[in-house]
Amino acid sequence: MSSALTARLRRVRVGTACRIILVLILAVLPLYLDNALLQTGLFSMAAVVGAIGLTILTGAAGQLSLAHAFFLAVGAYSYSYYAGVKDPSGASKAHGLGMPPVLAMILAVATAGVVGLLFSPIAGRLRGIYLGVASLSLVFIGSFIYENARGLTGGFNGRPATEFDLFGFHFGQDNPPLTVLNVVFGRFERLWYLFLALAVLAYIFGVNVLRGRMGRAMQTMRDSEVAAATMGVDIRRTKAGVFALSSMYAGLAGVMVALAFTRVTPDYFILPLSISYLAMVVIGGLGSVGGAALGAVFVTALPTLLSRYSGSLPFVAEPASGGYDAGKISAALFGVAIVFIVIFEPGGLSALGTRITRRFRRSKTEGPATEPKRAMPRSGTVTRTQEDPV
Amino acid sequence: MTAGAPAQLKPASDVPTLVVDSVSVAFAGIKALSDVSFTVVPGSIHAIIGPNGAGKSTAFNVLSGIYRATSGAVRFGDDNLLGLRPHRIARLGVARAFQNIALSKGQTVAENLMLGRHALTRSGFLTSGLRLPSATREALVHGARIREIADFVGLGDKLAKPAGMLSYGDQKRVEVARALACEPRLLLLDEPVAGMNAEESTYMAALIAEVRRELGISILLVEHDMGLVMGISDRVTVLDFGRLIAEGTPAEVQDDPNVVRAYLGTGEDDNGERGR
Amino acid sequence: MTRFIDLVLNGISLGSVYALIALGFVIVFKATEVVNFAQGSMLVLGGYVTTRAHDHMPFVPALLVGIAATAITALIIERVLIRNARGADVNALAILTIGIDILLITELTRRFGSDVLTIGDPWGNKLVHLGNLSLPQARLAAITVAVVLLTGFFAAFKYSSWGVAMRAGAEDNEAAALMGIRRGRVTATAWMVAGLLAAVAVVFLTAFPSPGLDTGAREIALRAFPAAILGGLDSTGGAVVGGLAIGLAEAMTAGYSVTFLGGSLADVIPYLVMLVILLVRPSGIFGTRELSRV
Repeated sequence: MSSALTARLRRVRVGTACRIILVLILAVLPLYLDNALLQTGLFSMAAVVGAIGLTILTGAAGQLSLAHAFFLAVGAYSYSYYAGVKDPSGASKAHGLGMPPVLAMILAVATAGVVGLLFSPIAGRLRGIYLGVASLSLVFIGSFIYENARGLTGGFNGRPATEFDLFGFHFGQDNPPLTVLNVVFGRFERLWYLFLALAVLAYIFGVNVLRGRMGRAMQTMRDSEVAAATMGVDIRRTKAGVFALSSMYAGLAGVMVALAFTRVTPDYFILPLSISYLAMVVIGGLGSVGGAALGAVFVTALPTLLSRYSGSLPFVAEPASGGYDAGKISAALFGVAIVFIVIFEPGGLSALGTRITRRFRRSKTEGPATEPKRAMPRSGTVTRTQEDPV
Repeated sequence: MTAGAPAQLKPASDVPTLVVDSVSVAFAGIKALSDVSFTVVPGSIHAIIGPNGAGKSTAFNVLSGIYRATSGAVRFGDDNLLGLRPHRIARLGVARAFQNIALSKGQTVAENLMLGRHALTRSGFLTSGLRLPSATREALVHGARIREIADFVGLGDKLAKPAGMLSYGDQKRVEVARALACEPRLLLLDEPVAGMNAEESTYMAALIAEVRRELGISILLVEHDMGLVMGISDRVTVLDFGRLIAEGTPAEVQDDPNVVRAYLGTGEDDNGERGR
Repeated sequence: MTRFIDLVLNGISLGSVYALIALGFVIVFKATEVVNFAQGSMLVLGGYVTTRAHDHMPFVPALLVGIAATAITALIIERVLIRNARGADVNALAILTIGIDILLITELTRRFGSDVLTIGDPWGNKLVHLGNLSLPQARLAAITVAVVLLTGFFAAFKYSSWGVAMRAGAEDNEAAALMGIRRGRVTATAWMVAGLLAAVAVVFLTAFPSPGLDTGAREIALRAFPAAILGGLDSTGGAVVGGLAIGLAEAMTAGYSVTFLGGSLADVIPYLVMLVILLVRPSGIFGTRELSRV
């Protein structure tokens, strides 16, 4: 028992050490990367936050959602509304409350949560797949609102997002100026650290939630609603709660996207965005927080990296040439990855990783590695037979 | 209980009577239960038996709030269980072990048992997410209790294993342990020995008897294995085609002509070896 | 009054197209428990093949080629992918079709470029005059074809061995197996029928007065999702009722210029209607209700 315990502890420590090293590497990257890559990194970290929210909802709780783009929009627009001011030139009809950006960020996340809760009469009562289709409607109703509620959203052209600052330290400009090891810390470098901090916090929070009481409840609910309810889990409340939590994650991701873009425009928050998020969490392995982070980076960075290096990659066509350009190659890859993963490796990248690490230390230990495999639920005999009337 | 049992293990004083009062259930016009009544005396082991399709599982599903009864009443102490959603019933101290194992196979045994503590614990998204002291304390206190329960059912060494990796018999025991983790006042056991081999079956029978002896709670049992039912039950209710056809002590029921007819009529072959 | 009748006809015509697509969703769901998110790109595929074939032959044979191509694609999807994912749960299967959808639409987008294709239907922009009313011929054709196809479908559903198997299978897989019904053939047929319906529906979705066919037709197909959900995802009759309801609601809001915040509500009315219905009845109007409540 005690030797198993130490083995387990060691495994946990190895995992933690790896994660700390990864964060340290990410922390020095701004010293080496150019602005385009930093920008890609910013979007990737925003996606990490959003994807963790979706993997909790769709992976751990088994509630399919295509509404993620909508909740990103809620976060992005609310942030720029709370922090923004009316355009003095009058070019945009959008007005704002002029709050401090930190407060605006917190309120934007809260707003996304509240909007998610407002959806709970639906989110709390529908089973996974019905929710998937119902959530589709939020994306389209959302698009309608972004384009028409001009006072809030600025309409078709969107609205600017106020740059972030924290106690006088500005993240959007060189004020106060900052140079580290001869690298001038401009907008991208500053935002990088902000985003890294947010992503790490979102990660830790997500892992803790899944390991905690509500995490167990939602995973059992996914495997068998009847069993979870019989053990005292209030299914409707849990579903509504998970939906709201996932909306808050999406809201924070939305704020981050707004900060990285400096603008919030309606054409970003459309169905393909929801689908990319789904691709991220499926590729990473449904229900795994680490997998969601990996999947998010993969799905976000691949198109930009492909187009950046398209010159030296013979198989990448020029955009709009009628061939497979970077965007289409990545889309096709994501499609293939999804199909492949559902059929062959329902645990996604995280299960693949677990399997490989296990092979490496096969002789040492038995049982799962640092993170238990949370595979896509297979429809067992459980749910079906239980609901037979007799 | 192997180790010295804490005081909270004996809530026998407040185990209420369960009164099932002319309950009927119909699905799309077909009656699955008609006018079924029986009473489970506090601290007793009460079995429901009957041929396949007799309505035993339906009765369980009504008791745990999964199905809505068309008429009748189910009183558990001062509470009427009918009309309550399952999680409310669970909070009144009614726990259930499922016939078809309904564990989360990817989660460890400990996590599955901790789910049983759901109604007894408080941590929400925020407290777990931020790992506030209250969440940590809760995890410690209830984790200790989970270990006691696991030791009690003989699974103490398997807490860290994913439930899906255990043998069938062990999984059935995890089911029972998870129900016990709810600190129930009424334990519903749905075919606890179905599909088990003789050795596992004997162990389970002893376990059930010990649960009653140690905890003093009521146990309502659906089972095909007549040896088990007759060996440990205080009272037996016999259903056939959704109707109550006999009730009494095991000896009385065994000699009841209605029961004999019901069982002979449908053949003697359903001795619980179905499924799996 | 004329305007009202005009709008009703308009709505029925649009609704019958939605009904065809929604029926495709329902058949596939009943047979294989798959919510088919690839239906939209199958629609575009059907339109694309028909248009390309029309370069070489008259419209009707071209349409048959389009139908055949779509049905065969659906069959391949079912045989090669869905069948191999057996045991995956409903969510995973839906996600699988999203993956397929991404693949199909990426290739179609590449082929389309920025073109808007005209599918070459024989009705063109011709009108029919009925008293005060003047209706595009294509609209009447949509209604007629939908009535014929739906009648054919429901007859097959009721009387053919496939239909019997579909109904039995949906209710009880084991009983169906005992009856000697070959699940494989039933599910394959279901997917092919859905492909056929998509290929026909796209003709009317893109016919006059719509501007033509581009990959945007995929999103129009998504508007049939509310139709399928509204009726109940497992109810064939519900799909037709849902389709008509959505079509009428859309035609009316568009015709009477119902606006909100200055935008036309017709764009989102299918989704609003769906949300309202789901609030009242979480499994649609005609859908099977869950026995258990938790």
